[in-house]
Amino acid sequence: MIGLGIESTAHTFSCAVIEKKGKKGKILSDIRKIFRPEAGQGIHPREASRHHIENSPIVLSECLKEADVSIGDLDIISYAAGPGLGPCLRVGAVVARSLSSFYKIPIYPVNHAIGHIELGKLLTGARDPLVLLVSGGHTMLLSFLDKQWRVFGETLDITLGQLLDQFGRSLGFASPCGKNIEELASTSSNYVALPYSVKGNDVSFSGLLSATKSVSQKSKIDACYSLQETAFAMISETVERALSFTSKKELMIVGGVAANKRLSAMLKDVCKRHGCKFFVVPLEYAGDCGSQICWTGLLESQVKEGVLLKDTFVTQSWRLDSVKVDY
Amino acid sequence: MLVKLIKKGAEADIYTGVWKNYKSIFKIRKIKNYRNASLDSKIRKQRTIKESQILSQVKSFGIPSPLVYFVDLGKTMIVMQEIPGKPVHDLSELKIVQSSKEIGKLVGLLHKNGVMHGDLTTSNFILFKNIIYMIDFGLSQNTIKPEDHAVDLRLIKEILNSAHAKIMQSCWKNFLAGYKSVVGITYQTKIVKLVSDIESRGRYAEVV
Repeated sequence: MIGLGIESTAHTFSCAVIEKKGKKGKILSDIRKIFRPEAGQGIHPREASRHHIENSPIVLSECLKEADVSIGDLDIISYAAGPGLGPCLRVGAVVARSLSSFYKIPIYPVNHAIGHIELGKLLTGARDPLVLLVSGGHTMLLSFLDKQWRVFGETLDITLGQLLDQFGRSLGFASPCGKNIEELASTSSNYVALPYSVKGNDVSFSGLLSATKSVSQKSKIDACYSLQETAFAMISETVERALSFTSKKELMIVGGVAANKRLSAMLKDVCKRHGCKFFVVPLEYAGDCGSQICWTGLLESQVKEGVLLKDTFVTQSWRLDSVKVDY
Repeated sequence: MLVKLIKKGAEADIYTGVWKNYKSIFKIRKIKNYRNASLDSKIRKQRTIKESQILSQVKSFGIPSPLVYFVDLGKTMIVMQEIPGKPVHDLSELKIVQSSKEIGKLVGLLHKNGVMHGDLTTSNFILFKNIIYMIDFGLSQNTIKPEDHAVDLRLIKEILNSAHAKIMQSCWKNFLAGYKSVVGITYQTKIVKLVSDIESRGRYAEVV
């Protein structure tokens, strides 16, 4: 079975082709074009969607060419239907609908966040993990129970990705800023006390963001170092709480911030303490990509027919814990 | 004297042991190497102090909790009475539903007296000889702010929803009934409203 997946929830427009045989999936191609806002600015939905519109034909044809398949070979098409930025989501959906209706290929709307998790499971081989989803759109701890992903803890305000990006932008970096902050942080070891806000299994980052901005006026590198240490310690603590509460024996990190080495190192240590296996999604597939959408669509096609064209919705707010998982 | 490690909790290692001839629980917040050292020591010290204070304080509200025998701040260790029961988390579904009302009452008592627990999960209540004990006050705070009390309720709701999904509705109903019986309907309504406010601030929450 061959699927095409289209991702366009935020800054990335990506198409991927995956061949599924039984439970195994092979990524044949995954092409991305990423919208880069100017330094110090965030993603403007209109500008990002324009970028996606301009790049969609290039990405699509490159993706098919690299996979060495033609549109006629595709068994299904899936697209990210949410959560995300409305104007951006619509671009992916329009491309998917056009292909589906013209070539009569079944179409599947996919939850972007579930995509991160399913692709992570495919690539790491984790079976029944506690999942830490950390990205620009999500900061959540999840485990699977009775056909649904259940939230054990999450951010009460902004996400870890937003925390890093918004702070990075205040220093004049271009989003995504995680890498810049990580580099600056590695040059300091002077910890400045910052607000540490863990509420049970939940975290709150907004106070930390404001406080770090004022520290950065004295020293940028100390601010970056202290921000990472504080935010990641908060995340690690909630992971420990969830591991201890659920007794899960695997932890898997997915999402864009999974690329951060300091965070991985801390969580690896947490896992050692709890006798738990540690999985992190490969760097190349940590960020948003077509593969996550494609693979989830392929999994859904095992148990469901494609949806009717009139039901090919997009929705900006779509919590992953409201999705029934039947495969 | 430590005897046996019984649980590696999120924050601390829990040992059973003997302290002055009493069979006791030793809760030790060990150094976490992954954490920045000064942040780590600050967190461990603060929580050890807070927990031992509040463990004693809540008894005056009529909340069953372990007796504190000894605190060693240097080792960030609390020695306390052992409650040899079973965490509510591990009880049968029927028993969890039944216990929810009593848990609601205890949380009501806590809030009425100006304390938030900060980590309300079903693992932090122990059933022993038909009495439910409240434990683990590491994240507790003295606060009369309704928002803080709502954070407590929102957490236990989240836990019921994730770990006890099948019985969530009846547990939550019982919990609220117990809570209301202590704090009164006006305060309960206010807190439940604040819980929905917090939930609606959540990421991608459905806007009603």
